[in-house]
Amino acid sequence: MTEEGLKPRKDLLDIESLDLEEIEFLLKTAGPFKELFSRSVKKVPALRGKTVLTLFYEPSTRTRTSFEIAANRLSADVTNFGVSTSSVVKGESILDTVDTLQAMRTDYIVIRHGDSGIPGLVAKHTRASVLNAGDGYHAHPTQALLDAFTLREVYPESAGKRVLIVGDILHSRVARSTSIILNKLGVEVSVLGPGSLVPPARHTFMHAFTNWGDALDWQPHVVYLLRVQLERQQEQFFPSLSEYHGVYGLTNRRVEILRQKGIYLMHPGPVNRGVEIADDAMKYERSLINQQVENGIAVRMAALYWLRPGTDERGGDS
Amino acid sequence: MSDDNHRTPLFFKGGHLAAEDEPVLFSANVLVEDGKITRVGEDVEAPANARVIDCQGKVLMPAMYDVHVHAREPGGEAKETIAACSDAAINGGVTGMVLMPNTIPAIDSSAMVQSVLDIAEASSRIPILTSGCITKGRAGKELAGIAGMHAKGVPVLTDDGSPVSNPVVLRRAMEYAKDFGLILASHCETMELSGRGAMNEGAVSYRLGLPGIPAISEEICLDRDIRLAQYTGAHVHIQHVTTARGMEAIRWFKGQGVKVTCEVAPHHLIFNEEDIQDYDTNYKMNPPLRTAHDNAELLQGLIDGVFDVIATDHAPHTEFEKKTDFVSAPFGITGLESAVISLYHYFVKLGKFGWDLVVKRYSAEPRRLIGLDPVPIVEGGTAEFIVFDPNATTTFSRDFMCSKSVNTPFLDQTLDGQVWMVLREGEILLERN
Repeated sequence: MTEEGLKPRKDLLDIESLDLEEIEFLLKTAGPFKELFSRSVKKVPALRGKTVLTLFYEPSTRTRTSFEIAANRLSADVTNFGVSTSSVVKGESILDTVDTLQAMRTDYIVIRHGDSGIPGLVAKHTRASVLNAGDGYHAHPTQALLDAFTLREVYPESAGKRVLIVGDILHSRVARSTSIILNKLGVEVSVLGPGSLVPPARHTFMHAFTNWGDALDWQPHVVYLLRVQLERQQEQFFPSLSEYHGVYGLTNRRVEILRQKGIYLMHPGPVNRGVEIADDAMKYERSLINQQVENGIAVRMAALYWLRPGTDERGGDS
Repeated sequence: MSDDNHRTPLFFKGGHLAAEDEPVLFSANVLVEDGKITRVGEDVEAPANARVIDCQGKVLMPAMYDVHVHAREPGGEAKETIAACSDAAINGGVTGMVLMPNTIPAIDSSAMVQSVLDIAEASSRIPILTSGCITKGRAGKELAGIAGMHAKGVPVLTDDGSPVSNPVVLRRAMEYAKDFGLILASHCETMELSGRGAMNEGAVSYRLGLPGIPAISEEICLDRDIRLAQYTGAHVHIQHVTTARGMEAIRWFKGQGVKVTCEVAPHHLIFNEEDIQDYDTNYKMNPPLRTAHDNAELLQGLIDGVFDVIATDHAPHTEFEKKTDFVSAPFGITGLESAVISLYHYFVKLGKFGWDLVVKRYSAEPRRLIGLDPVPIVEGGTAEFIVFDPNATTTFSRDFMCSKSVNTPFLDQTLDGQVWMVLREGEILLERN
């Protein structure tokens, strides 16, 4: 049991299965962790003697490093389990890997994989706590937590605020997890993107705009740009990167509108300059992008701190 | 054992009989002598030398026939063998089946047909027919050895598992095969629209972050194949229909007099995309589970008679193959052992339809479709029937199932009803205590 009286949970797999109390607990816990960062000694002993293992089947230096720093600052021992990211790695060999990790008595496994559902599959086969660092198009819960935390920093009363998510909704685990957490926190969420990348069967709470004009008339408080995967153009989801930038990108002209209206800008990184965002727009004074990176470490510390390895039941799941 | 069966008359006492187009069960005793049904009636008495089988509270009905079964032999013996598949069929009250030709190598020549029939002859306890491929190696390019396969008794041609994507190839196949009286069975899918999809495209695929297979992938191909049949005059059989719109198209084309028949699988009546909780790969098959609306419409279509037959698309895969993530796992679930029981549990028991529909669509019409005679429980008929116990239950445990694979949503689930006894030509193939 945590001191807050929350039921302990073994894994953090998605946002959907977290209740509001758990989300609020994580956001609240991340605050003091972030305050640590400005001290000369940035470490607390919470996870001393515990082993955190990162298992990344998709390359992501940023997210992996963020988890590693978070674990280090909790005094855990961190190891990266080097896996092939170049070839397609199937689920069956992952379960073999999990058996190996089990034998190594790992306490926490941080996993990223290109196929949806893999972290859940791994979680079922290990006593270690599993933290989903992104699976397929499915979920990226710590991204959602850091986004919510960042929004709360500029809008402590986040309920009723409006966030416009722009880009590839269809293939984005960030859009899924972040929209769900915002919805749970009472934030209104709308989306804007090419018709081929905004599925009609998305969550019903998300209204879809088809152009920037209508979307900005909705008076969003935050514009949240998604990264455009360059291969989507090859798959013909839109005609060209320059057309994407012109129609759906944050052009210099649109940044000016954001500036006039005082709208904040977020992006999960890494940014494709000249595609979803104009080069100059990166200097926008209301950009929260670097703040998001810093907050990522704090919420990941909160998540590691909260989870309890070795719980046989997947606590909290209904 | 077999000889003994033929010597001792069997007297089925006090059961209720089901027959196609007879909405109400009727009580009758049934006497089986030398593999034949010799007497049926309430007043029939047991001969002195007969074995009396108490069927109080149980239902006797013609044994089932499945026109869509993957026995995986040759090439996939870790998943299933013809021997295990025939045991699974018997376990589920099925006494005959048509195998699909997507084995390794594919069944695309008279020699391959013969080798499968030889394996069946040596290892199966029930008669087996196999379908043959439309195209060589199911590659969709060159026509398979159609006349040779026909000469070996193949009733159906299909590239099941894949569509014949090139409409010219399918057109030629239809023009050619129709003169042999062969049925062309279509697995309807537009591959470009399916892409790397793993489940129905819609709200659930969005939520789970899984690539979707849209309903139009199936519907466009279905439409195309029926129009080709209309144009060529061939008999097309649409396999495993899953969408309400696809079914409505078939209903319409039937009304136009096109030679089109179709089948529905029990799982597409019972389950839908919402059942794919937690990425359970035992709910992954192709075509995929659709929506609750489709469930309801397909059920109504079955009652209305749009579907000619029920067929399981029994598709075994090893636990190893299925124990992976949803995208990587192979398509397919087993069905032979659970079909009759699940139809009882979800529909007959609840009054959605009667045993007469089960008998018509899963016993009589499948046999007629491929040119066999139905096996009604009538005097002078062959004794090929099952005794079903609606008051017992069945748990689909590993121990219960005879298939080499257990990839079914019913794994370790308990349903109402039990296939209590199975007879064929008077021989007791299955008898539970």
